[in-house]
Amino acid sequence: MNDAFYVASGIAVLSTALAITRANGVHALLYLVISLLAVALVFYTLGAAFAAALEVIVYAGAIIVLMVFLVMMLNLGGAAAARETQWMKPRVWIGPAILGIVLEAEIVSILARGDAGVPSLAVILPRDVGIAMFGPYLLCVELASMLLLAALAGAYRLAYLERAEG
Amino acid sequence: MSPELFAALPFLALSVTAVAVMLLIAVRRDHRLIAAITLAGLLLALIATGATAPPAPVTLTPMFQVDGFTSFFLALIIAVCIAVVLLSYTYLNQMDDGGPVEEYYLLLLLATLGAAALLASMHFASFFLGLETLSIALIGLIAYPVKRARAIEAGLKYLVLAGVSSAFLLFGIALIYLDFGTMSFTALGRIWDTNPPHGDIYALAGFAMLLTGIGFKLSLVPFHMWAPDIYEGAPAPVTGYVAVVSKVAVFALLLRYFALIGGYRFPSLLWAISLLAILSMLAGNLLALLQDNIKRIFAYSSIAHFGYVLVALLAGTPIALQAASYYLTAYAVTTIGAFGVITLLSRPGIGHDADRLESYRGLMWSHPWLAGALTVLLLSLAGLPPTMGFVAEIYVIASGVGMQLLLPLAALIAGSVIGLYYYLRILAVLLSPAPSLASPPATPKTSPTGGAMLGVLVILLFALGIYPAPLISAIQHATAGLARSRAIYLAEDNTAVTQSPGMPRSPGYDQ
Repeated sequence: MNDAFYVASGIAVLSTALAITRANGVHALLYLVISLLAVALVFYTLGAAFAAALEVIVYAGAIIVLMVFLVMMLNLGGAAAARETQWMKPRVWIGPAILGIVLEAEIVSILARGDAGVPSLAVILPRDVGIAMFGPYLLCVELASMLLLAALAGAYRLAYLERAEG
Repeated sequence: MSPELFAALPFLALSVTAVAVMLLIAVRRDHRLIAAITLAGLLLALIATGATAPPAPVTLTPMFQVDGFTSFFLALIIAVCIAVVLLSYTYLNQMDDGGPVEEYYLLLLLATLGAAALLASMHFASFFLGLETLSIALIGLIAYPVKRARAIEAGLKYLVLAGVSSAFLLFGIALIYLDFGTMSFTALGRIWDTNPPHGDIYALAGFAMLLTGIGFKLSLVPFHMWAPDIYEGAPAPVTGYVAVVSKVAVFALLLRYFALIGGYRFPSLLWAISLLAILSMLAGNLLALLQDNIKRIFAYSSIAHFGYVLVALLAGTPIALQAASYYLTAYAVTTIGAFGVITLLSRPGIGHDADRLESYRGLMWSHPWLAGALTVLLLSLAGLPPTMGFVAEIYVIASGVGMQLLLPLAALIAGSVIGLYYYLRILAVLLSPAPSLASPPATPKTSPTGGAMLGVLVILLFALGIYPAPLISAIQHATAGLARSRAIYLAEDNTAVTQSPGMPRSPGYDQ
């Protein structure tokens, strides 16, 4: 199982390095998706299956896909279609695709072997997460809701200029 | 009512007010009404803080603890927030860029809630969440005048730098958690009591990263680069808020953290802090000499002031804890007053604040009351009698002398002397004859509430400078709990006081 951990964390480091060195936003985001998926796999091998699932659903699933759509849709215009064709060249997607296939192979091999997590580590179930969040961390959860409210109010105000002139 | 609920009242008052303001904005946008509700909520929170100041520490989940120390600083930041609301009301009315103004109060309340959470934190998780709530709300406040390019630039800079410093903090916290398996301050202190982490590379790296993150928030040299730009770009009332609330809350947390984990037993940590303090005092004051913008001058002066308070943190005696608390109070009163004067002189409609030093020429003749108030505030910042600034500086110097911190003290005195020059330079500009313009600029209409608030601040500055006893006794009461946890290490330490004069003593665990 240690091999799975090292492969996944290696992919995470590699794809993050590639993400921050890409000049094009969309290319960087493709690597970022791979990086987040690899981190999810790292969580899984460490026995935090619930955190892994959340990482895939929230980060790789919702946030990054939103960002990819946003970046692709912001630059609408005459040259947009041509640029999009250029983005679809194999040279662009082959790197993330290979890394994704390696991750996929890793998951398949884990499932085939049928063991989850490093044997010596306790597996954290959603139940444990829930008990911690609504036990000792209760007030922190409440505070986090206020944090999100602050972010929302700030974003609403900053977006006002666009709306007024658009 | 259970003691836990009773102790949580100030926090509940702030949260309920924030939610009420949010809901009201959705129903009806009325600037005056929202401001009044915000003010009422803050006053309630202030009263609750005074009424619920617990005689013994009350623990709210393992994350938070409300005690005398929390209550004292909570009262201070809520009072500052009230002052900012009073200043902002007229400012926002005059700014009038067509955008909504009501969210400003929501952000202000949430930032104050984040700062309040910092003051009660006993755990890295609550510390980080409180800090993020404060920072995220501040980004919105700094960039609030969205049509000013400078404000947007300042907001973006704060966003990026707050993100970087949070990354440092998180990495430091993670390293310490990796090594010791807990994020609670008291538990860490207990672990290190029995098993001091000597030459432990994780603990050392963790401390260095934590210190970097906190250095960013307190804008200590060499992590100070953001401060002048953000002070200049943010609207004046928000600048006052950033300069006071976020820094005071983080410093109060640093005092508590240091006392609980027993930071005084780590010579490397004390060396690093003395270095930051000396650099901040010297560089802050020297760079302030080069500025022609009054907001930038105050930014550099605030960098230097936090170098001064760090000297009290280094000394660490019960007297030094009181000195630090008194200094922070004096700093809060003075700084919010100084930015109050800038706010009252600004005409927000024209796109920038009255921040060029040139625009203060002859102010003593055109606005004698405002200029008089600014003079008193400058004297206090320079540490001259009979103001709070003087008492604060003497207090800090006395605590430093007691622990023989020769190098930081030398830097403090050199810094104060340099500081005198640029404070008096502003004073000279105020007193110089007014420029004889063909068309003198229209004098802004000064809001009566802002003027009255400034009057109260100036009276406080004199009253607590001449007769500081009531404040000092309140501070003694507030810091008694922290001093007790500190006393344990002092007792072990008495033998080592005389070694290595001029630098922090090496506590008993030194090799």
